[in-house]
Amino acid sequence: MTQQLKAYKNEIIVALALLLLIIALSYKHQKVSSINNEKSGATSSLQELKEVIALKKVWGDKKITKKVQSLQKIVSPSKIKWSLKGKKLTATFKNLSNQEFNRIMVKIMNFAVEIQKLDVRKTGTSYQMEFKCKW
Amino acid sequence: MENDKPLILVHSQMKYFASTSTEGINIMLTPQFYTIKRESLPVQYTYQAKRIAASLFEGLLENTQNYQYLILKEVDTWLFIAYDIEKIKSFLTSKGLHLTNISKMYFAEQSIEKFKAPILLGDKDALVNLDGTMTVIPQIVLQADEIPKKIDKSFTPKKGLVLEVRSKAFLSNTEAYVLAALLVLFSVIYFIEGSRYGGEDAVQNAQMKRLLENYPSLENNYKRESIANKYKAIDEKERKKRDVIKSLSHMIFKGSILTSLALNDKGFQAHFSCKDVSVSKKLKDLAKKEKLNISQISKSRDLKIEGKL
Repeated sequence: MTQQLKAYKNEIIVALALLLLIIALSYKHQKVSSINNEKSGATSSLQELKEVIALKKVWGDKKITKKVQSLQKIVSPSKIKWSLKGKKLTATFKNLSNQEFNRIMVKIMNFAVEIQKLDVRKTGTSYQMEFKCKW
Repeated sequence: MENDKPLILVHSQMKYFASTSTEGINIMLTPQFYTIKRESLPVQYTYQAKRIAASLFEGLLENTQNYQYLILKEVDTWLFIAYDIEKIKSFLTSKGLHLTNISKMYFAEQSIEKFKAPILLGDKDALVNLDGTMTVIPQIVLQADEIPKKIDKSFTPKKGLVLEVRSKAFLSNTEAYVLAALLVLFSVIYFIEGSRYGGEDAVQNAQMKRLLENYPSLENNYKRESIANKYKAIDEKERKKRDVIKSLSHMIFKGSILTSLALNDKGFQAHFSCKDVSVSKKLKDLAKKEKLNISQISKSRDLKIEGKL
């Protein structure tokens, strides 16, 4: 050890310890930031996956055909003209009372189907309605 | 090793030490630089002996406050060595000894058993072991059969003192070691914290794994993206249609009748029949509130609401 170095031995010891502290601190910060990045990536992937699953559950519902068919039960068959081809429905409703019309509208609103056409016309006190949808 | 370094005997008649070497040396002080006392005390540990050291030298030393004490346990007694470090440093410097070159400082009393022959100190004095105490005596009183010897490395005792060089250093040994120990402690804590960080995302990974097991078709990123895009587009469009129907349903009230509604993928058009002007006004206000495009059908109170999807 040279004379100069020995004179500042204590300061050198403290400086080395300080350097070690800085290295340790930067190591910790680097680890924290890399873990946070990974975590945020994992969180967004998980969020995205949950969203896709939720969308698939709603718009890819396999029981929707059965649910749509329940529309026929709301009114008497004489008021309905029903045409179901695969996953496409064309339904015409005639002479619907206010109550019947409301019930059908509520059902349609809650079905996860793509509404292609909805025509409503009021004639006197009854409603005429044409409804086309697919899923 | 400290014991491998040259041992220089420091005495008041020593010549100027003209070495320019930067290698470390050890020094041994003659009794000219310290005062000793041997006491048989009922204490067991050095720290207990250290507490009473100053009181032992009261009346013996001029100002005990300037002195430091080295306490060594001997067979039946305690050896107390009192020394004025500032005086010693000043003397060493005056003799050309660089304090930074001095590795360890020892006292002749520590190696008393090695002094079997006198050591000459300059031209007049000699260092001898006189009845178990190192003493400086005039050379003329030495017996003719006493052949003087020279000091060497073999005289180096086990325990030595480190000289604190305060002239250049900003920190004392104690301060430096305490500070360094604290910094190292914090460093270790940070290293441990850093290495332990990251176990929290295990829950998320497990959840992700479970979902993918239930929906294996979504494991592929491209497929997942394609499904997401398809359903997001449908979801957005269908929500808009339902929002429009919901808004229009809020406009049906006493005096306002929905006479027709046409809705498809491109847009919608609704026709409302209003009983009077106040109903018409209320309907207009509601349409504005719902941000719908409303217009009056000419020559009537009826209103038309239309928009694109």
